[in-house]
Amino acid sequence: MKLLLILSPGVVTTISKLTKMCVLRLTPDNLFFVLSGKVANGGVSMWCELSQANFFDEYQMEGVSSEDNEICLEVTPENLSRALKTVQNAKTVKVKLTKKHCPCLTIAAELPTMSSINRVVTHDVPVDVIPRRLWHEFKEPNMPDFDVSIYLPPLKTIKNVVDRMKNLSNFLVMEANLNGEMNLKIETDLVSVTTHFKDLGNPPWGDDASQDGGPSQSRDPEAMAQARVDIRKLQQFLVGQQVNPSKAMCNIVHERVVHLILLHEDVSLQYFIPAVA
Amino acid sequence: MDCLLEGNCVKAFGKAVHALSRIGDELWLDPMVRGVSSTKQRWKGNSLALRSVNSAHSAYACFLFSPLFFQHYSLGPVSEQGSETIKCKLLMKSVLPLFRCLTSIERNVERCQISISTPSDRVIIQFFCRHGITKTHNLSFQESEALQAVFASHLCPNVLKAPARLLGDMVMHFPVSQEEITLSMTPLSVSLRNYYEGGNDHMKTMYTEMSLHLDEFDYFQVGVDSDITFCLKELRGLLSFAETHCLPVSVHFGAAGRPVCFSVEDMVLEATVVLATLIDSESTGPSQQTETLAPTTPRCAEAAVLPVGSCEANSRKHQGVPAVMELIPSSQGSPIISPPALMLLVPQTDNPNGLGEPDEACASATTTPASSTICSLLFRALSSEQDSDGCAARLPVLAYYSDGEENMEEDYTRSPSL
Repeated sequence: MKLLLILSPGVVTTISKLTKMCVLRLTPDNLFFVLSGKVANGGVSMWCELSQANFFDEYQMEGVSSEDNEICLEVTPENLSRALKTVQNAKTVKVKLTKKHCPCLTIAAELPTMSSINRVVTHDVPVDVIPRRLWHEFKEPNMPDFDVSIYLPPLKTIKNVVDRMKNLSNFLVMEANLNGEMNLKIETDLVSVTTHFKDLGNPPWGDDASQDGGPSQSRDPEAMAQARVDIRKLQQFLVGQQVNPSKAMCNIVHERVVHLILLHEDVSLQYFIPAVA
Repeated sequence: MDCLLEGNCVKAFGKAVHALSRIGDELWLDPMVRGVSSTKQRWKGNSLALRSVNSAHSAYACFLFSPLFFQHYSLGPVSEQGSETIKCKLLMKSVLPLFRCLTSIERNVERCQISISTPSDRVIIQFFCRHGITKTHNLSFQESEALQAVFASHLCPNVLKAPARLLGDMVMHFPVSQEEITLSMTPLSVSLRNYYEGGNDHMKTMYTEMSLHLDEFDYFQVGVDSDITFCLKELRGLLSFAETHCLPVSVHFGAAGRPVCFSVEDMVLEATVVLATLIDSESTGPSQQTETLAPTTPRCAEAAVLPVGSCEANSRKHQGVPAVMELIPSSQGSPIISPPALMLLVPQTDNPNGLGEPDEACASATTTPASSTICSLLFRALSSEQDSDGCAARLPVLAYYSDGEENMEEDYTRSPSL
């Protein structure tokens, strides 16, 4: 498989802050970085989708077979991010799947120099090929049957709040309603702290996303849906975000899961944090 | 000894301390009566050497400051032989914090005075800062014979002279945590790659390689095609110094196993880092040992190399040397062996524990299995005695002991010292 591309390191760096290992799925049109919600991750899962046309000048891939025309690799995003950072000024960058001592994503770049002959840098990022029988674990997650969907305040603001709350408690309650109000709350024996956000706005699908259409239409706009999550997981998500997304939303399934969605120009990122009791 | 540095030189001195701190935990302050730079510029008058060695004895660095570097420099009462100057060993962790924040030194410090006070066994470092503030630091030192490595760079078959930023740009592609890298030289190109040690952790290890055409260097000499593997971490300090001062870096090396020397110089100072390189033992075996040895001088100390399987060697006084230091029977069998490319003068120290603790700067080097061995460059001799089992006579001479110029023999005396 050959990919020739100019891939922005930004996305990969963000993902590298979220998780140590993840799965890279390559299809003819898209790339996906997937983390499936296993116990080892604390139940957190992630789905990041990029359209290859936005990143690659040339993209060729051949999957496992014509029916399953995709490739699934387990990769350490930090390695990939580091490799891509060093070749940011390159004239050309090529990414290939190769087999060296083990399967690798080989990133080969030509760097400009003063002389006529280019410098060549090659990074071999080891990957593990995931067999087809396990692919079902890395499918696109369904949009959950959420109770409330709301636009998030600026991520930097949330991050500041969450960073300070982390010093006080391990768990944080996120709640929001269909009236554009969101609260972040922590409560301990000694202290409880709540940060209120108003006028955030709710995405239009908030009213009819529910599959059976019943409860959400009659949902009281003031009623809060809440979920109590491990604060570190939320913080980890926020730490990685370096650029403000064009859209940032949060769906809450009452006492089940917090679903965060970030849309950048070329990339969409979804992050699921399970609620704890 | 008493010297005065002003303004920018304080910052340069601090940067030198930073670079040395990458090497070892101790800093030798060595005022010299006649400093001799390895490029054969004899600086008239006194000079000051700052040296450091890592505990594994596989890395050595020296910054030599000529008298022109100082506003004022005096040795104090000293006899003509020059052996009366006090040589001080300081703890790096006492010295480094004084120079840690170079930007604040640049802003605030007008002058710096360094003096050695013998009666109180203290080195006094005074910073004369703006607004009339004077900061005085008294550091206690241990009197210790100076450590020197003499690297005969003119004997090295391979030479590279790189413009100031080139090496920094090359190593930038490797993670800061990368311990060792391999530099390969062929008549067409120079390449750097991270050292692959084998082992099970394939998933985590990213391999990076980069290559440059020789045209990118200011000067090159390809004597032998060689691949040398050395510790990158220890070198980064010098590369940073070179970049800050826009100085080209010269690299002298030979085949694998021979030390590599990186040096920078300008009108008033010269800095050198000598690193041991790994030998790949695939091409060698203990049986070759006796065949490839060079004639040794009678006063040869134990070399840095210990015979494989000769356990008693380990029990001898190599406290600074981890037991993994095993023999490097030289595959080179090579003319490079004699005369030795690296010679060490290490006079006795009073500290029987040698020059450091057994933990290493180059972590992976000293924990590698016998299949890759680091050739330790320096070796200290405790005394001038022969080894009782005569082992030394059969070891390839990479380092030998001499206690002064007058005892050096033949043409080795001409080799410049650092």
